[in-house]
Amino acid sequence: MRRLLLLALAAATAAHAQRPTIDISGARVQAYPIALAPPSGAPEGADVMEVLAADFDRSGLFRLLDPRSFLADPAKEGSSANTIDFSKWTAVGAQALVKAAAKVDGDVVKVEFRLFDVPHASELLRGEYSAPRAALRQIAHRFGDDVVRSFTQEPGVFQTRIAYVRETENGKQIVVADWDGYGPQQVTSASINLLPAWMPQGRALAFTSFRDGAGAHLFQVDLGTRAVQPLVKMGDFATGAVFSPDGIRFAFSASQAENTDIWLSPIEGGVVRRLTDSRGIDISASWSPDGKRIAFVSDRAGSPQIYTMAVDGSDVRRITFQGNYNQEPAWSPKGDLIAFSGRDEHRVFDLYAINVQTGKIARLTQNEGTNEKPSWAPNGRLVVFSSTRSGRKQLWTILPDGSNARQLTNEPRGASDAAWGPLPRK
Amino acid sequence: MTEAHPQTVYRSLLGGDPRIGWLGPGLALAIALHVAVVAAAFFLPRLLDRPAPVRKPVIAHLVALGKPRDPRLMPRKETEPPAAASASSAPEKPGAPSSGKTAPRQLTRQEMMERALAGAARRTRDEKPDPERAGQETGSPAGTAASAEEGEKYFGEVEDKIHANYVVPSVISERERLYLSATVVIYIGRDGSIVKHVMTKPSGNSFIDQALVLALQRTRLPPPPAELARLVRDEGLEINFKP
Repeated sequence: MRRLLLLALAAATAAHAQRPTIDISGARVQAYPIALAPPSGAPEGADVMEVLAADFDRSGLFRLLDPRSFLADPAKEGSSANTIDFSKWTAVGAQALVKAAAKVDGDVVKVEFRLFDVPHASELLRGEYSAPRAALRQIAHRFGDDVVRSFTQEPGVFQTRIAYVRETENGKQIVVADWDGYGPQQVTSASINLLPAWMPQGRALAFTSFRDGAGAHLFQVDLGTRAVQPLVKMGDFATGAVFSPDGIRFAFSASQAENTDIWLSPIEGGVVRRLTDSRGIDISASWSPDGKRIAFVSDRAGSPQIYTMAVDGSDVRRITFQGNYNQEPAWSPKGDLIAFSGRDEHRVFDLYAINVQTGKIARLTQNEGTNEKPSWAPNGRLVVFSSTRSGRKQLWTILPDGSNARQLTNEPRGASDAAWGPLPRK
Repeated sequence: MTEAHPQTVYRSLLGGDPRIGWLGPGLALAIALHVAVVAAAFFLPRLLDRPAPVRKPVIAHLVALGKPRDPRLMPRKETEPPAAASASSAPEKPGAPSSGKTAPRQLTRQEMMERALAGAARRTRDEKPDPERAGQETGSPAGTAASAEEGEKYFGEVEDKIHANYVVPSVISERERLYLSATVVIYIGRDGSIVKHVMTKPSGNSFIDQALVLALQRTRLPPPPAELARLVRDEGLEINFKP
């Protein structure tokens, strides 16, 4: 009797077998397919749409669908959700659709944009954007940022600016351009100027310059007036200023008695404080987004490697152990990654990103010239850097996984030392 | 003198007492027990109704061809394994006519096996993998992992096939993309088709959930081995999608 019952239970258990389980991780990220319908109205609409398409393409967030594949007739199709045949947009693979109508009022261009969710046949965003004809591109940048925020709940960077160093006949000069490289404006005109860094609010730049004939020291230039003033002049040289996220102090490197260390200064000037005091060279400070730690380069262990320390100089930790020449750390705005350039076994510098928590290093560039000086976009979704992949050193943007490389500058003599500016103030 | 009547001795409980009919108490008890056993087999799993315990198989990946990379060097970008050779590239016998009026002779099983092995060997020999791709010298050009591990090969293949289609849209916020996860149970037919999928734990983000369903719809799995066929068809395979 008992044996029979046990047999029955065993049979029941066998019938209810265990379900196996597996984990799948490491999803690939794919750009979101978006269709930009040909705009209606004034011809300026096409110019705006062209800028918008370039913004979306460079961002890596969207994959632009070829207008030649569109099935809908823009002349017949309306611009509201109930007049659009979404099946025709679904058929060409669109997940999102942008419609625009432009008109010109005197010197002002006005564009009404609408963003649609194609699978759900619904309107996500609508707005009229206007600007003087000379600032036409800003219409596309503003709407583009709104689209990015609509999908990701994060700010877009289409209205940001990038500072960099331009090679000229008269030395190296500091330039500020739109995020897409358009409208470069040179803000220095003499001597050798290097390593621009955005000061709080984006109104001024700090930079390293040999302009006073007494070695390299830190200066600042007001982007409105172009007035240049000294910022730090101490020791044999002072270089590489970087401002804390709260904007009340800045770190820099200075050499005194042939020892180069990281120093900290209040932004209004005053007492500076030494953060490192190793016998090696400590340079290239970069703030963590919470302002509590600083990444830097030190050769204290024999070769240049990336370290981090608390903002008071304590708790120094070496974080790179691969390779024998790692430099130029840039802490991501999200705090999880530090991008840097490192020299591989072929003696070529490439970009890498180290996960601050795990220490795992991912390679971003490979077999495409020399790639250096990474700087993060303020939303952490892009990195700007200099590369020789197209000949002379120029600026390029890339996604944090190393994909979607796009050239940013086309300077005749070359460009380097990029610093991505802050988000525009609201 | 009275005539002596023969005594009937009942030795078996199943025999029954003819005085009360052939359905004796022993037989009744036996039938009742059988009914109870069958009922227990049928109802107990439903009454207990506990969630099915999950079994975590060890996944085996095909090891890539190459040399293990010196951990002191800077890492290389991970390269995709080369595409598998198509079936149409099967070799022809040297000297055999490329076309003819006579119908080709039906190959024997032995000949087919020899051809397949020769083709695989030549593909492996002709393949030129990335010389700096990390792997093992005895690995395969189509390998999917740099190091070897013991495990269930079929689940490794399932993971690789689904992973190839595990694509999420870029417009998901980084915060969600890096931290959200979802669980889907798939039921696999004998031919490898995903006959049904049930999202038992959605991610909470419609973009991600939509992408997972799309990944499963695009995936073509190999037929499961005989010993797993019933399990993955009836109980399914639970997949935890992680960032």
